[in-house]
Amino acid sequence: MGEGARDMPKTEKLVWRLKEIVGESHIIKEPDNLKDYGLDGKRPKVVVFPGTISEVSKVVAYANEQSLTLLPMGNGTKLGMGGIPQKMNVVLSTLRLNRMTDCDCDNLTLSAECGIPLGEAQKRLSQEGKGYFLPLDPPFTKKATLGGIVATNSSGPRRLLYGTARDLIIGTKAVFPNGDIVASGGKTVKNVSGYDMCKLLIGSYGTLGILCEITFKLLPLPERTATLLLPFVRLEEAVQFGREILQSQYLPSSIEILNEMVVKKIKPPIAQQGNYLVAIGLDGVAESIERQVSEIGERAKKKGALEIAVLASETHPSFWKAIQDFSEGLAEEGANFISFKSNFLISRCEEVMGSYEKIARESGVDCGLICHSGNGVLYSYVLAGKGVRSKKESLLNLIKEFSSVAVKNEGHLVVESAPPDIKKRIDVWGEPRGDYEIMRRLKKEIDPKGILNPGRFVGRI
Amino acid sequence: MNREQMVEELSKIVGKENILSSETDLLLYGYDASLFKGKPDCIAFPGSTQEVSEIVRFCHREKIPVIARGSGTNLSGGTIPTKGGIILHFSRMNKVLEIDIENQRAVVETGLFTLALKNQLARHGYVYQPDPASEKVSTFGGNFAENSGGPHCLKYGVTTNHILGAEVVLSDGEVIQVGGKVLDAPGYDLTGILVGSEGTLGIATHLTLRIMPKSEAVKTMLAIYNSLEDAGRTVSAIIADGIVPATLEILDKLTIKAVEESVHAGFPLDAEAVLLIELDGLKDGMERLAERIMEICRKNNAREVKSAKTEAERTQLWAGRKGAFGAISRLRPNYLVCDGTVPRTKLPEVLAQVMEVSKKYGLTIANVFHAGDGNLHPLILFDERDEEELRKVHLAGSEIMKLCADAGGTISGEHGIGTEKMKEMFFVFSLQDIAAMRKVKKAFDPEDIYNPGKILPEVQT
Repeated sequence: MGEGARDMPKTEKLVWRLKEIVGESHIIKEPDNLKDYGLDGKRPKVVVFPGTISEVSKVVAYANEQSLTLLPMGNGTKLGMGGIPQKMNVVLSTLRLNRMTDCDCDNLTLSAECGIPLGEAQKRLSQEGKGYFLPLDPPFTKKATLGGIVATNSSGPRRLLYGTARDLIIGTKAVFPNGDIVASGGKTVKNVSGYDMCKLLIGSYGTLGILCEITFKLLPLPERTATLLLPFVRLEEAVQFGREILQSQYLPSSIEILNEMVVKKIKPPIAQQGNYLVAIGLDGVAESIERQVSEIGERAKKKGALEIAVLASETHPSFWKAIQDFSEGLAEEGANFISFKSNFLISRCEEVMGSYEKIARESGVDCGLICHSGNGVLYSYVLAGKGVRSKKESLLNLIKEFSSVAVKNEGHLVVESAPPDIKKRIDVWGEPRGDYEIMRRLKKEIDPKGILNPGRFVGRI
Repeated sequence: MNREQMVEELSKIVGKENILSSETDLLLYGYDASLFKGKPDCIAFPGSTQEVSEIVRFCHREKIPVIARGSGTNLSGGTIPTKGGIILHFSRMNKVLEIDIENQRAVVETGLFTLALKNQLARHGYVYQPDPASEKVSTFGGNFAENSGGPHCLKYGVTTNHILGAEVVLSDGEVIQVGGKVLDAPGYDLTGILVGSEGTLGIATHLTLRIMPKSEAVKTMLAIYNSLEDAGRTVSAIIADGIVPATLEILDKLTIKAVEESVHAGFPLDAEAVLLIELDGLKDGMERLAERIMEICRKNNAREVKSAKTEAERTQLWAGRKGAFGAISRLRPNYLVCDGTVPRTKLPEVLAQVMEVSKKYGLTIANVFHAGDGNLHPLILFDERDEEELRKVHLAGSEIMKLCADAGGTISGEHGIGTEKMKEMFFVFSLQDIAAMRKVKKAFDPEDIYNPGKILPEVQT
């Protein structure tokens, strides 16, 4: 009671000031409504929905002056990623920043505010001229906003051909902790004027600045697309085949390897399931797709593929969507799971995937694997089942073992989501590396009061 | 500290034979390919990361500026010692440390020539994509510091998209690893902010690069025009048709003439412009795309379109482009290369404005440019002994940058800011933008040891 009373004036002042900036209807402050914005047992005092970049700037400047912490948020699809927030005073929603500010398809660029869901932007782009797209295919296809995707450096299977946010973003406008609106880059594909601040903001989990507007490179929609589904019995065969294609002159947009648990859930249109499914995505001109489908299929048969299934342009989007949205599917089933992202040398796919399956088996849990095998990036989903508490020690041990396998193969393990009991006991980012001190110094220079998303990034930044 | 003492201290680290300090040496290392000059205190040639670190540690203690240097090909004064100090010359650190085909990476020392790696990769059927025009002698350290471009960036991106990690000596001598062979390391993208930072944040000693299998097929075409504007319009039309070639390069009449007098590429002397177009990828469908492109060229008034039938013909066409700067330098004693970039669609109108600038100042301007990227390179010809002409050159150069900035572009596409364009930073950035960059500088190099007097104009905060 006493504590509440001490808090009251400050919160009231905060609400009053925020109302002044964004207007009364763009604030949530009722406790009942605030509970939807809770995270890891913490709850904000208020949620604010600025409608312009200048309003974001004012909100941030005020928070900085008052030393209040801000947690930026779009549709919240990736809110569970990152460490437990140290403090959470205000949630800053980007959802009202939803304008496509400059859709310049002739120049192959799009500038858009960060609250727009990627899906919406893609739809609009596909209708411009001969059809264009933003070559990013991250998870949460329905809801993920541009800002959230970029702040978490989220990517998908087609990164093999098109790269990730760092390859596709040429400009940003962000609000820094002191309230400054900071622009970097621009709308030209070549630009070396000043430091490339865009790179710092990509994947920084909102700890350096609040992304407000982003300029992306676009591409014309491919003339044709197709997918080859190639089931194999043994992991070794699947991985070797993926590598053979990677080293070839073919130009697949993705080479994914899925294990049995994933295949069972997403139910692709194949007759023989095998234990591992290699899915090869192809984008390009009609002639090249035709030839790659037939030649890659032929090669796969020789290397032991149980069957060669081809999904044409019309049927394959749903297959890829199921892969992208795999974790969402698990969540909808109500499964209790831990999800991981591991990176490692491309040449070590077999070792890492094999080890993870073995570790999971020994811990008595089911484990789904989706590997961007051409990039050395693996997403794993461990089904913890009921009674996480009783299995806690064994799960913590599994995490440790997963991590040491990734590190042994020159990579890292990041825990992307976990039940609170587990999350409390681990550093989701793993051990910081030798470059951590510079990261800490960057954070300190840019956000000296630590108001932006404190505690949630690498090394508790 | 006087020069003798400095030389003595450095001798202890790299040996006397690896230090230069005669008056002639100081002159030789006081300039680069820009119009600026300075004077270092001495030049040291380290042979290892350890030696670089020891030198930097010494300089940090004594507050002596450190300027890293490769072949000095940079065009914006990036290697000019503005406040004296020690030039770290990387010519002894020029080894390919590893070509890792399985993981599609190469690791190199930063004094290595760009083309030297490419020649080695060719034996494996692999390529490193960025292709700065000076690649015969430009070093990877320079490519890293300047974020070099080149004709192939349209499809493959610039240097930053191909550098995945680095061994970096920080301004206090500490050695850290950023990024690496694996993708998506957790934490801020330090590699990303270091690339293009012009030696002001850190000095790289090793780089980890992305390498790719060589394309199966290449198709090179040349379109000849009676009007420069038509050539520019063709570029927009090709992209609007949904085709993204590997290269779209334009040379204007003056350049054609110079090129023909020196390398005899077979460009017609009476043409107003030539457009060099290159497709790469799988061979399937390439002929059809080439036909479509040639059709677009004709529609946009190309008087002739031809395609290279043999590798020798292709090499000849490229010799014309790659030899362009050299050829131009035969026309007058000096030239200034401007490096403005505009959204591709703005090319024709900005070109026309550049010609107005030429008229206004009575200066001869030749144009060679990466049209597909909107990256102009007006070359202003002059004689530096004529002070009045030199003064006009600087004014015209600055005016051209302003034109680019006003057209929604930027003041440097691939040559950097260096000492040349610090004032012009305000054409594209606000005080807030620059203040944010300065925080980054402060986090990396609080004492301003590394390459002082570059990129960031002094601002009162």
